[in-house]
Amino acid sequence: MGPRGFDAIALAEADHVATVLRDIAAGEVLVVGCADGEVWVTATEDIPLGHKVALTAIDAGDPILKYGSAIGSATEAIAPGAHVHVHNLRSDRARRRTD
Amino acid sequence: MVEFLGYHRPDGRVGIRNRLLVLSIGGLTGPASRRIASSLRDAACVVLPYEAGLLGEDKEIHDRAALGLAEHPNTGAVLLIGDNPKVLERFSAELALARKAHDAISMDDCGNDVFTLVSKATQSGARLIREMSRLRRSPAPLSTLTIGLECGRSDPSSGLVANPLLGRVADGLVAAGGTAILGETVEWLGAEHLLAKRARTPELAAGILAAVKRREEAAIAAGVDLLGVNPTPTNIASGLSTIEEKSLGSTAKSGRSRIEGLLGYAEAPVGPGLWVMDAPAFAPESLTGFVAAGAQMVLFTTGVGNSYVSALSPTVKVSANPETCARLDGQLDFVAHTGFDGSEAPEALAERLLATVADVASGTLTWGELLGEGDEVVSRFGAAL
Repeated sequence: MGPRGFDAIALAEADHVATVLRDIAAGEVLVVGCADGEVWVTATEDIPLGHKVALTAIDAGDPILKYGSAIGSATEAIAPGAHVHVHNLRSDRARRRTD
Repeated sequence: MVEFLGYHRPDGRVGIRNRLLVLSIGGLTGPASRRIASSLRDAACVVLPYEAGLLGEDKEIHDRAALGLAEHPNTGAVLLIGDNPKVLERFSAELALARKAHDAISMDDCGNDVFTLVSKATQSGARLIREMSRLRRSPAPLSTLTIGLECGRSDPSSGLVANPLLGRVADGLVAAGGTAILGETVEWLGAEHLLAKRARTPELAAGILAAVKRREEAAIAAGVDLLGVNPTPTNIASGLSTIEEKSLGSTAKSGRSRIEGLLGYAEAPVGPGLWVMDAPAFAPESLTGFVAAGAQMVLFTTGVGNSYVSALSPTVKVSANPETCARLDGQLDFVAHTGFDGSEAPEALAERLLATVADVASGTLTWGELLGEGDEVVSRFGAAL
């Protein structure tokens, strides 16, 4: 845990994901620094430093917000505490040919 | 008021270095130019590989970039090397107008004997360096600085800490009357609506959106899935998932200032403030775009490490990744891991980085300069004859 006492940071209020500030093991309870204070979430899997953890449940196909803007859409239902990365998040841009 | 010590040039601009630029116009004299520069103190060598046969936009960009580098405030004098004396005469005339000390030596002048070329050019270069070494540094305001904003081998620490840090410094520079340039058009993709909102005019907003659309359409037409190319595998391993995520973090380098205009590749801003350049994202091409546009310095953030720097403009390497800061301690000019673990406030970090900018501008060497990691690479877009 850093001096601020956070295990992860979300920069904007509406963000669905936070960036973890150290390597996280499954089962750890994370203190997440947010724009309006802090929230707690239990990691459901290992998450490496710098990767993203879901703060809320996200439905398949829904946009995922980070920095207050969409960074792509969920390719499957994502539970709070899950690792969010290329296996369950896809860009919505410049991929017409490959769909 | 932050000041630095710089070299005041006859054209009114201020250099932060006083280098002899050995500029090879065309690749035929590239290897000889490198030998010439390597035997001269304070010489920077730039080889423009293409020349004869360039067409249209590429010809225009090549000439604009060559002149931008030659007239650059960090050059005290220029030694033009090439095969064709007619081409060198054209550049010499422009340098005379800009009152830049220079000499030009072509293969034709030397009977196409490369030994003669190297010998004559080395002697001429030595004379130019001796003369330019008479110039002394004197105080200059931050408003005389143009800084390029770059990121390479990014990870989430770039978007969370290092890029917003550059944004604060860019805002400070702009507020002081200086100039900053954001490039890497493909990394506006997904964040372009936020950049467009900051445009000075509606036409500029439309121009920014159109520049991104052209890149996106080029990627689609080429069958490229930007998810597979950008973020790069390095980015993905470090936790960046999509181009939108990378872009939102990347554009944070530009801060919150109003955007004054959209520049073509290597095109110089016509006034102070924040400008955006429609240019390739790959660092060697991107940095040369900034430098040829007149940037005396580049601020370059990296997540996992990136050693590349400009040959002509000191490039300040910044990282906020704690592991990278420890591993590359000797190759980073500014470590910002204290922003990642929260032990240093963003305002304090920005103040410290601005002090580093003034320090490097006044002559303190960057690691890239010490290690000789610099180069310049001018983009080429189309076919040639």
